[in-house]
Amino acid sequence: MEEYLNKGIKEVITQFPAVDKILEENGIGCGPCSVGTCLLKDIVAIHDLPEDDQRVMMARIAKVIYPDKVIPLPPVTKKKETGPKELKYSPPMKALVDEHVLIKRWLALIPAVLEHLDLSSEEGRNLILQGVDFIRSYADRYHHAKEEDVLFGYFDPNLDILKVIIQDHIQGRGHVQAIVEGVERQDKGAVTEHLTAYRNLLTGHIKKEDEILWPWMERNLTMTQIGELYAKFQETDQRMGLSTEKFENFITNLEKKYKA
Amino acid sequence: MEAFQGCPGSRMMDFSQKKVPEGEEPTGKIESQLRQWPIQLHLISPLAPYYRGADVLLTADCVAYALGDYHREHLKGKSLAIACPKLDEGQDVYVGKIKAWIDEAKINTLTVMIMQVPCCMGLLSLAQEAAQKATRKVPIKYLVVGLQGEILQEEWV
Repeated sequence: MEEYLNKGIKEVITQFPAVDKILEENGIGCGPCSVGTCLLKDIVAIHDLPEDDQRVMMARIAKVIYPDKVIPLPPVTKKKETGPKELKYSPPMKALVDEHVLIKRWLALIPAVLEHLDLSSEEGRNLILQGVDFIRSYADRYHHAKEEDVLFGYFDPNLDILKVIIQDHIQGRGHVQAIVEGVERQDKGAVTEHLTAYRNLLTGHIKKEDEILWPWMERNLTMTQIGELYAKFQETDQRMGLSTEKFENFITNLEKKYKA
Repeated sequence: MEAFQGCPGSRMMDFSQKKVPEGEEPTGKIESQLRQWPIQLHLISPLAPYYRGADVLLTADCVAYALGDYHREHLKGKSLAIACPKLDEGQDVYVGKIKAWIDEAKINTLTVMIMQVPCCMGLLSLAQEAAQKATRKVPIKYLVVGLQGEILQEEWV
């Protein structure tokens, strides 16, 4: 079993497709992941399933991999529970969760923006470029920078899930560049393709962070680290001097425009 | 109708029949995690070097007696002050000292540990009042401890 616990999940699923279904039944959606290099043992630990569920899931996976053998199972990888179970975000992590809310509102607007896409008019081009400014300034420079420059520094950079998240950021920046070039060429097809791809990418990305990465990080941060994170986020906010009100207004106005 | 039993903070209760499961009693000498003196909130100076940039634990007096693992699980790595919001006098001084921790000693975090009895909430209120008056902001967490040493609640302020 040890051998497979130390293998990338994509490799395990490719070899044993039934494992994908077992993971999915436990709320672990690794199947569609485009990277899939996270080790099975890390995935099991990071999802922090209830002890009994984790034991049953591992037994089922072992049965798929070794149908004719009785395999000793690894110990349940859970921290000793010393307090209430429900996860409550600390102030710095909650700030990141809250920033997702505005980004998700923008992602929800993208289909309507594309439906009314008009690159032949200056107004139409400006709307897309305002969206690009929101993505680059708020979602990327303001939000992703806090993750990459501060938060991730508290964790092992070799963790596959961090590599996946950073890869998403890089891929997102590529789509945004392609959107800008599409606007310059007034290429409706390219803008539609890359804005849609960006929306799909970020939707999955936020889901990974909200449901897996951040709860796991919250559980593993010490009180000292939480205090440091909080101070560093405040420094970042002050240094950037970004007015979030401008972006909130941009989103609110778009919502009024398309939902009216 | 139940007879009035008085203040929950001073109601008599006997846990002497409580059994500690076999194998759960620690063996060997348990080291103290206290790394400073004094600790009573009236006696401490909020600008003492061990508070500067520290993770500070403000504990209601009774907590350390109720919690079996207080030193190892909660005090370890933190600078301490203790107080009783029910019996201590001059609690306005406490607000000033907590504010000085935040603004002047620039503490990293504040954890407030109180008992489940209603009067103990007063200590959390003092910390909240001080935090509101302070210009700096720090993460503040509070834990409510049950009379038999269980953590009943853990929240961020």
